[in-house]
Amino acid sequence: MSKWKTHTPDGVFDLLEKECYIKRQVESTIAQVFHSRGYFEIQTPTFEFYDTFAHIEQSQMIKFFDKNGRILSLRPDLTTPIARIFATKYADETLPKRVSYIGSAFRETDAVAGTLQKEFTQAGIEFIGESCPEADAEVIATTIKAFLACGLEKFQIDIGQAEFFKGIMEQAKLDGEAVESLRKLIDQKSFAAVESLVEGYNIKPGIKELILELPNFFGGVEVIEKAKEKPLGKRAGAALDNITEVYSILKDYGFEKYISIDLAMVQGLNYYTGIIVKGFTEGVGFPICGGGRYDNLIGEYGKPVPATGVAIGIERLISALNYNNVEFEAPQVHTLVYYEKERAIAFKIADGLRSSGLCVEVWTGREGAKAYANARGIGGIVKVVDGDTIDIINLNDGEITRTSINDLLGGEE
Amino acid sequence: MKYLTIALAKGRLSELSIELFERIGLDCSKLKEKSRKLIFTDDENKIKFMLVKASDVPTYVEYGAADIGIVGKDTIMEDGRNLYELLDLKFGACRMCVCGWKDSKVPSGFIKVATKYPNITRNYFAQKNQTVEIIKLSGSVELAPLCGLSEFIVDIVESGRTLKENNLSVIEEICSISARMVVNRVSLKMEKERIMDIVEKLRQEVSK
Repeated sequence: MSKWKTHTPDGVFDLLEKECYIKRQVESTIAQVFHSRGYFEIQTPTFEFYDTFAHIEQSQMIKFFDKNGRILSLRPDLTTPIARIFATKYADETLPKRVSYIGSAFRETDAVAGTLQKEFTQAGIEFIGESCPEADAEVIATTIKAFLACGLEKFQIDIGQAEFFKGIMEQAKLDGEAVESLRKLIDQKSFAAVESLVEGYNIKPGIKELILELPNFFGGVEVIEKAKEKPLGKRAGAALDNITEVYSILKDYGFEKYISIDLAMVQGLNYYTGIIVKGFTEGVGFPICGGGRYDNLIGEYGKPVPATGVAIGIERLISALNYNNVEFEAPQVHTLVYYEKERAIAFKIADGLRSSGLCVEVWTGREGAKAYANARGIGGIVKVVDGDTIDIINLNDGEITRTSINDLLGGEE
Repeated sequence: MKYLTIALAKGRLSELSIELFERIGLDCSKLKEKSRKLIFTDDENKIKFMLVKASDVPTYVEYGAADIGIVGKDTIMEDGRNLYELLDLKFGACRMCVCGWKDSKVPSGFIKVATKYPNITRNYFAQKNQTVEIIKLSGSVELAPLCGLSEFIVDIVESGRTLKENNLSVIEEICSISARMVVNRVSLKMEKERIMDIVEKLRQEVSK
């Protein structure tokens, strides 16, 4: 037998019934929140042409070929295919439009680290065709609502603005290479390294101090006020106004207690064009959601349209819910129907019980019904005695009650 | 209040870290006792210390199993994980170098390089557009040129004594190395005040 036959590859895993049951509950809770706000679901292919995802780092994609030798890739995210749709199939749609998605995304992760998931589930929303702060605030508020609906209470949504850093870099008049080195160091909040890099350039006083302080511009809303005192140019100033506006809209949603600010959020700046969002909670070392405004992406596929969105990492959200001891409904069979001869009657009884909301299995074996029911934690057995009579066996106390089928099913006939 | 967990790289770095933490008022007495325990607590300040292998520190911190880690820059560079690197603690100072036979030069052609740091080595030579064969070793890298396994090595150099005694020397310097304080990306946001308080105190202590 092949050594690999009974194993799954690194980075993917089976989801057994209990976990799967929980995952579906979480997904459907989130989907309800999305639908109730007009974000209906779109499904896109699991794999597409590599070219569609060309803006994503190629080493992160899981690729293969079609029979014509074209490169295909498992989707590394679900926003990109939606961007493609809005520039093509939805090019003539009335905008703005809200859509949502739930599905697996795939990323090639470091084989040495090995344990990060290569297949993970994302549930997200996109608000397309509107560049106003209300749209950004709405996707953030919807995400908060989804977390709350799932039972997560303690979490924090960090908001940044891509234009803030870009504006300051413009003011500092640094070349592209220096900007990229500085971006990396600010992203790591590496104060000392930022300082020694900045020392090597001739930057206007005022702007220099601002760059040195940049990694520290995170925390509560007071960060915005602190930043406003600095000598900001038009672009960085507009970014601050925008973030202030989004914050005040979120206040009207009543969600300000979940919001924090990080003006030094500088990951994915080639992609994000405005608000950037990341969500955190205790007990999970990675963000549980991420997103932001990406006004340039849809244009890559032929029709420039502004857009904003957030994706929730379902597996990470579930670990957060588990960490917080949020209780889930468990998969539970309530009754086992057992018969010897009266098969048709057994089926009728089972369906009757099911229509009153119970989960019912019909025993298919000959012997061992009781042992099976006990092993599966089924509370009771309904034994068909004859065409009219049944025994209800309570497995918790062993009590047997004889009754008629009519009595059991409430006399409906 | 939640305990903050600090992962320390076992060995000399942990001794120096403990000294530093004591100076900012954390209780590390349990860490200094000779024992086989792996986790030590400072109950008054609600801090847990863990002693882990240096190369594992970034892993613990990235996953959030530790909120804070103290580890050498060499390990951080080699691992390339997504962390905040808030502070240069200055101790454990040394250099990452390309070393070879005394008075030799790195030729522009194909060479073999032995190292404990394949990623750092790959990045360094890629930047110079040089093709190299990297031979990964786990220790005593200086042996490689001596027995003809490779022409050069990439390793950290502290005093340079081992090199000298074996007729080797530093050929090129890649970068300087020292101990860093790294922080998990979520922890910094969820526990900003407590973590930044430690950072601030350490910063003052280090710049004294």
